[in-house]
Amino acid sequence: MYRFLTLTKAMFLIHVRDRSLLFWNFAFPVFLMVIYGAIFAGDDLAGFMTWMMPGVLAGNLMAFGLIGSSSMMTELRAKGVLRRLQASPIASSDLIGAYVIANVAMALMTAVVVIVVGVLFYGVALNPLNLVVALPMIVVTVVAAIALGQVISGIAPRAGAAVAIGQLFYFGQMFITDLFMPIEMMPDWVQQIGPWLPGYAMAQLVRPALAEGVLHADWVQHLFLLAVYTVVALFLAARLFKWEARTA
Amino acid sequence: MTAPILDIEAVSAGYGSGSRQVTALREVSLQVQPGEIFGLLGPNGAGKTTLLACLQGLHTPTGGRLTVAGRPPREAKGALGVQLQKTALLDDLSATELLEVYAALYDVRLTGEQIDTLLERFGLSEQRNKFARQMSGGQQQRLALAIAVANDPQIVMLDEPTAALDPHARRDVWDVLRGLHEDGRTILITTHSMEEAEALCGRVAIIDQGQIMAVGSPATIVAGLGLHATLKAAIDLPLETVRGLPAVTSVRYTGQHLEIQSSSPQSTLPALHALATQQGKVITEISLRQPSLEDAFLALTGRSLN
Repeated sequence: MYRFLTLTKAMFLIHVRDRSLLFWNFAFPVFLMVIYGAIFAGDDLAGFMTWMMPGVLAGNLMAFGLIGSSSMMTELRAKGVLRRLQASPIASSDLIGAYVIANVAMALMTAVVVIVVGVLFYGVALNPLNLVVALPMIVVTVVAAIALGQVISGIAPRAGAAVAIGQLFYFGQMFITDLFMPIEMMPDWVQQIGPWLPGYAMAQLVRPALAEGVLHADWVQHLFLLAVYTVVALFLAARLFKWEARTA
Repeated sequence: MTAPILDIEAVSAGYGSGSRQVTALREVSLQVQPGEIFGLLGPNGAGKTTLLACLQGLHTPTGGRLTVAGRPPREAKGALGVQLQKTALLDDLSATELLEVYAALYDVRLTGEQIDTLLERFGLSEQRNKFARQMSGGQQQRLALAIAVANDPQIVMLDEPTAALDPHARRDVWDVLRGLHEDGRTILITTHSMEEAEALCGRVAIIDQGQIMAVGSPATIVAGLGLHATLKAAIDLPLETVRGLPAVTSVRYTGQHLEIQSSSPQSTLPALHALATQQGKVITEISLRQPSLEDAFLALTGRSLN
């Protein structure tokens, strides 16, 4: 147990000390809220933010999985850290467990930051009950995001490539999956495609729970879609996982 | 004789598959006894790192059998202290944190005092709270060595522990390794430095193109090849008269110098001196070089090491 806890702590520390991760996952979502609030809020800032904040939160969790988690794992591989760990008697399941726990902790911290900013600076009314309903939805979103990110780290040769691929999928979904813009404002074809993407399910699971303390009418359907993405991603990630970077 | 702590029998290994397969080791056999400092000596790409990877349970051989402390490599990981070629540290952690984490991977819980002792032994006391990425190359290398022994291993395997170090730092590492040897540990290092192999290793194996060319102490390997000493003298003498001196095997002129290969310099030298006196000449400068591991490598592989 000491072994597992110490490794988990180490994995957590390398995330907390990563500056680009701190920027993208803590500063960037706050920056988005400020910009969005300034441009689109109109007269009802609190009302707008009540819709906006859960989207920023879920989108940020997705960004953490696709970009932060994937590039960190890719970097550990490229630097040879994974190989050094493999030379120790630790089981690979312990290593992956420690990494995932550190990732979930980190992701939850980003969620706290977004919520605190929303409540304190934008007057988002948050009933504590909302948090109880939202927490499982947030965890489901985090796990899906990390699983998707690990598919990326399985194919990216370097951390930079993982960031690029992650950003492609993240920015690709930002505006067309109801996270940062209501999907009703989008052209027809986007409204056809968007609901099939993981970002849409994340938005539908997190937003009503956090904003109103209720589950979406079709929450089972969204949860199912996200679960399918997660299972397929985990399968691919396990298949693609390598201890060592390919050497030329 | 005790049982070998590393027992390698006819091990072959390769990378890739199908038509793109590359052979890295061809039926390598080697035994290392407990308490030895053993060196794997060879150029880049000779198969040294692959052999280590097989012993560390990181690479599966395509043939042969190997045991580490009597067990298959994958089950013996806990007995090993490991430093890989790339230092590969979690570089956002401090020296203290790294020692704690890597010892923990082996289920060893280091006390603060033990961490201090390790840091001091490797000259890192002042770097205790520094992140690995803020350290110099030499400090990182020493930290990697400290990590390799943090779990108090029976066997220490180091892949080019002094590569990229300046001569001073390299000597510091040698001292540390000698200290680990005095603790009774078995040490296996790879190197492509003849000097390092001769300074440090009780026995070495010369590896080239995946095969072991010779095994033994540096002196035995050199002696076993019947290599000759080289005498260089600044003097002008007829080549055929020098060729007739005792124990001389070959003679040639290189610039200002007469270069003599001798199987027994102690008999050649006085005779050379006598010949010079007889011809009324004086040897103004003379040097004698005993055959080294470098010459052995050249003789064994037909190539120079570096």
